[in-house]
Amino acid sequence: MMAESLIKAATKPSLESLIRLLVLLAGVALLVVGLLFPLVTMLLKSLQDRAGDFIGLANFAHYFQTPALVNSIANSLRVALMTTGVVVGLAFLCAYGITRTCMPGKRLFRMLAILPILAPSLLPAISLVYLFGNQGFLREVLAGQSIYGPIGIVMGMSFWIFPHALMLLTTALTNSDARLYEAAEALGTPKWRTFLTITLPGVRYGLISCLFVVFTLAITDFGVPKIIGGQFSVLATDVYRQVVGQQNFQMGAVVSVILLLPAVLSFIVDRWIQRRQVAQLSARAVPWQPTLSPLRDWVFALLCYAVAGAIVLVIGTAVYASLVQFWPYNLSITFEHYTFQGMADGGWGAWFNSLKLAFSVALVGTLVIFFNAWLIEKSEGFRPLRQGLHFMAMLPMAVPGMVLGLAYIFFFNQAGNPLNWLYGTMMLLVLNTLVHFYTVCHLTSVTALKQLDPEFEAVGASLKVPFWTTFYRVTLPVSLPAVLDISVYLFVNAMTTVSAVVFLYNSDTRLASVAVLHLDEAGYFASAAAMAVLIFLTSLVVKLLHAALTHVLLNNAQRWRQAT
Amino acid sequence: MPPTMTSPLSVSTAATPRATTTHLSIDGVSKRFGSFTALDNIALEIQEGEFVCFLGPSGCGKTTLLRTIAGLTRQSAGRLTQRGKDISMLPPQARDFGIVFQSYALFPNLTVFNNVAYGLRNRRVERARINDRVAELLALVNLTGSEAKYPAALSGGQQQRVALARALATEPGLLLLDEPLSALDARVRGHLRSQIKALQARLGVTTIMVTHDQEEALTMADRIVVMNHGVIEQVGTPAAIYHQPASAFVASFIGSMNFLEVTAQANRQALLGNTPCACLPHTIAVGQAAQLAIRPEAVALSLQARALKHQAGALNGEVVSIEFLGAFQRVTLRLPEDHQTLIADVPSRDSSKLSLYVGQLLAIHLPAEAARLYAAGSSQQ
Ligand SMILES: Nc1ncnc2c1ncn2[C@@H]1O[C@H](COP(=O)(O)OP(=O)(O)OP(=O)(O)O)[C@@H](O)[C@H]1O
Ligand SMILES: [Mg+2]
Repeated sequence: MMAESLIKAATKPSLESLIRLLVLLAGVALLVVGLLFPLVTMLLKSLQDRAGDFIGLANFAHYFQTPALVNSIANSLRVALMTTGVVVGLAFLCAYGITRTCMPGKRLFRMLAILPILAPSLLPAISLVYLFGNQGFLREVLAGQSIYGPIGIVMGMSFWIFPHALMLLTTALTNSDARLYEAAEALGTPKWRTFLTITLPGVRYGLISCLFVVFTLAITDFGVPKIIGGQFSVLATDVYRQVVGQQNFQMGAVVSVILLLPAVLSFIVDRWIQRRQVAQLSARAVPWQPTLSPLRDWVFALLCYAVAGAIVLVIGTAVYASLVQFWPYNLSITFEHYTFQGMADGGWGAWFNSLKLAFSVALVGTLVIFFNAWLIEKSEGFRPLRQGLHFMAMLPMAVPGMVLGLAYIFFFNQAGNPLNWLYGTMMLLVLNTLVHFYTVCHLTSVTALKQLDPEFEAVGASLKVPFWTTFYRVTLPVSLPAVLDISVYLFVNAMTTVSAVVFLYNSDTRLASVAVLHLDEAGYFASAAAMAVLIFLTSLVVKLLHAALTHVLLNNAQRWRQAT
Repeated sequence: MPPTMTSPLSVSTAATPRATTTHLSIDGVSKRFGSFTALDNIALEIQEGEFVCFLGPSGCGKTTLLRTIAGLTRQSAGRLTQRGKDISMLPPQARDFGIVFQSYALFPNLTVFNNVAYGLRNRRVERARINDRVAELLALVNLTGSEAKYPAALSGGQQQRVALARALATEPGLLLLDEPLSALDARVRGHLRSQIKALQARLGVTTIMVTHDQEEALTMADRIVVMNHGVIEQVGTPAAIYHQPASAFVASFIGSMNFLEVTAQANRQALLGNTPCACLPHTIAVGQAAQLAIRPEAVALSLQARALKHQAGALNGEVVSIEFLGAFQRVTLRLPEDHQTLIADVPSRDSSKLSLYVGQLLAIHLPAEAARLYAAGSSQQ
């Protein structure tokens, strides 16, 4: 008995820490193979010639001597800055309406405002062509300007980036301290001064963070400029054109490196802000409650519903366009476009592939990311390893999809790479998508885990229960809402993303979002719209299921969750 | 051999207590966090079946020592031996202890039953056995009938008892409690104090409890370990700690204590101003500044005239304030010499004889057997 317990004591814990170590190493390996190696390979490629010999910065010199290419930098900056102005301006006003006024119908507005996230960024571009293109029914609004170019790009990007900005700013504006406003009022401060001296400083970090996030999303977006950019080229479309059009991989790598810069810059600024923001709101802050003010409330309601109207119009146009026989000559309704005759293998296969990808990423990604976050947050020992994994988990946010996709080609399509067989498979698409959207999920997990009692694991250990048992019996169930959020986030993004995967599919693994692109390129505009709508509807259904499931789970959990 | 879980919850270990076999010995344990030393060369032996309290001010390293014993924090140096087995390098899973945290860390999504059964489920014990055992444990902590409730539906005191039952479920040889009562209000605390103490005595499980509440330590512990700044100041029974504090820190930390500035003299003597006072034997060099410590309840007051005549070492003092505290009155006096203040607790029974009033001049007697001398300045924490 004694001997037995001694043996137990000697082997069992080392088994547990061995497993911990192995899982941590697996997590690190995942991000090394799925992120670091491809990125490094790509950086090296940008310094090589076609034959693979090192030529220093010659590719960059060549790039900067080619006006057609350098132009794109200015173009990208121009549309990204314009988009940032439009989106952040509108989103700030709408977020203000939601948080600081008593405007009616806030819930409905928030629901409508979130819709663009469920659609691929190709959808607004297609709709805009239908609305403002050569045969669009609103083309007079543009007063002779063409939608194909910067105007269309800015409008399309604004549409799909708006919800991101709205969420960030709503959060920032929600954290207000009523005591400051009461003090200002007591001192007889005019409203506009209160706004300048209290409201704006209070949200400055949220605002700066939002500016950078929007700018990065805009400058790295591929879908919108691809569909509606016409002759107006931007960095993201240049990468695609260099690689897919001209097979000039070196130049693709150079453009990618340039595209990486604003994203990395934005990433650094965001990290810096996050660190400062922590202590901003004191624990004793009293949340501010808006009071009725009919004029202000209605002005904001009108503004918000104008925005919501535009969103519904864009989505509605795509739906309508996918259903009419032949725009604008034969407007009879048909489901013919949903047979996707423009595609050799039929579009439903692509849709099914996307579904497979989205479910796999949601399932695998949620487990892997949450479990890794748990190991990082809640275990003792292997400190350098845990910190390293955390750092690597933050990196994907700084890597634009186009860059990640191209980096994957370089790394996984190398002749000598033992992982070469992965190229073009569904597995690689899963890995790519998981890595692409890793950071947000990681941060969500960490936030959820930090809210748990830090001693759960210690109690488990003292009761001689292996750590994985405590993980699945306690930690996972208690964090279920966050886990569901992560999985639906991954699902929707896997469904709608196009930038990274556009380089990585083969004929068997073509995805719905890529199919939209191909249908559009081939001139099957209505089918492209139909596919985009199909993606949108799929995401919508999953999102609604998620909402229902969360509702049920929270209701069930009400038995044990504190009512407070 | 540790009892297995199938053995009945019995008094067996308690029936043969105080055979003074060592349960745990801590040998030169230190813990550093960077350049900060949280534990400095701690040495301590804990006997089988003993109830030991770690007492000390906030930040003195009590929790760190407890977590080191549990293996949740790895010591920087030193050895831990439990029942003769070196456990210094073992992870918590391989050590034999149960623990109750200040937050209780009850699993919110599990019922009371499942919380208590948490450590049993893992041992592939039959379902019926588990049911019996949980019922037994819940009866032990007076929570029979709460099996199906969730922790959020329990009061703080009930949660605390569930945590206790959960920690005891696997029959650990050592029970660790980190401020188990500090989150509760005073009334519940007093009640639970005696409950835990009775439970511990019944089961005979060796117990270490961390607390910064001296009353808790004095009422519950067999022995108290007073800690300060990562070192042990004194180990002893509550009475020894209270009546024979080994250092000015212990004297000041436990109970209330007067410190008078004096000059040490030879021969159990000290000089308070110009008045000689008798005290217990001391080792302070003659002529050195020192502190004379005496508890307020040991100070004897009497009406002036009579006292001055009869007692050597008698002082007099002027009453500055009188506080009524029920069973006794707390009198603050100012000594005429160098204006030191002295507090005396006068039982209500005696105070009527003195007919106390502010400004009154009273004779003060400091009994030698209650007066201890400590080096000057050593009571600072
Ligand atoms: N992980 C850590 N890293 C750095 N310093 C620590 C760490 N844990 C504890 N300390 C420090 O060690 C000292 C002792 O801490 P400990 O928690 O043991 O105190 P304590 O006696 O339990 O106090 P309290 O009564 O406040 O619980 C404190 O000064 C604390 O700041
Ligand atoms: Mg503590």
